[in-house]
Amino acid sequence: MSLLRTFVSRYVLPNTYRTTARFSSTDTKLSSNDDEPVAMPNPYKKERRQCILCKLNIKPDYKNYRLLSQFQSPYTGRIYGRHITGLCKTKQEQVESEIKKAQNCAYMPYYYKDKTFLKDPKLFDPENPIRSHRF
Amino acid sequence: MPTYEVALMLRSMPKPELKTTLKRISHAIFDRGGIIRNIENLGHRPMPYKTSAHGLVHREANYFVFKIDTATKAVSDLKEEYSRDVDVIRQRVFKCEESSSNNCTLEEELLPPAYRDEVKKMIEVGKTQVNRFTYKFKYNSGLDYYPFQK
Repeated sequence: MSLLRTFVSRYVLPNTYRTTARFSSTDTKLSSNDDEPVAMPNPYKKERRQCILCKLNIKPDYKNYRLLSQFQSPYTGRIYGRHITGLCKTKQEQVESEIKKAQNCAYMPYYYKDKTFLKDPKLFDPENPIRSHRF
Repeated sequence: MPTYEVALMLRSMPKPELKTTLKRISHAIFDRGGIIRNIENLGHRPMPYKTSAHGLVHREANYFVFKIDTATKAVSDLKEEYSRDVDVIRQRVFKCEESSSNNCTLEEELLPPAYRDEVKKMIEVGKTQVNRFTYKFKYNSGLDYYPFQK
């Protein structure tokens, strides 16, 4: 019985199929090549990271001592480093020089942070620096 | 004439007196051919640290910032005049800088060290230097004595 079935499927049925149209990619050639890969920019490319001052286009100024005090430690009044603040090199340099100016002009204290600014929003977390440090 | 910012701390005093002081300060600028662009009052507030000036200890001050255009040679003259002024506790002069537009380089700075340009440069420089840890003095140096302590 099984022998008969294989005989039918091999020799009898293919003949009947040949008479009808065969939908296969090997027989007919594709008219347009719209299935080809397309040149396009990398869709998975990550967005360029920017530091917070560059993103918001803020120029640090010694008169704006409230902003500058956010880059100062509340315990020692020292300026946080670049690995903590997450600023780019130029902005960090500007912030540091402006803080020194403000401290010299008696706008900002040297050894502590102004207590009225202690509850200001945190721009970064000193406990989780971008690059690890020894402290 | 370049633009300067004169940050002045004036002693706490009643308003009419403050007015005359400010007038005196600005007249000193005008007398030297300068102009005032802007006067900013940052208010009367306690100083973060006490300051002694003209034989008195000040713990509060009136903060003013004058934005002035004046000749560079007049600046030291002005500073000298204000230093003699009894009402001025402290004064600082800064040059106004033009805002330079710079692109944020944070992305390049966060790359691993091997990909950072400055580290690459450092490695290049290091290759041209003598390695102090492996360097050994050669006795056939042409000197007929050993130059270091043995």
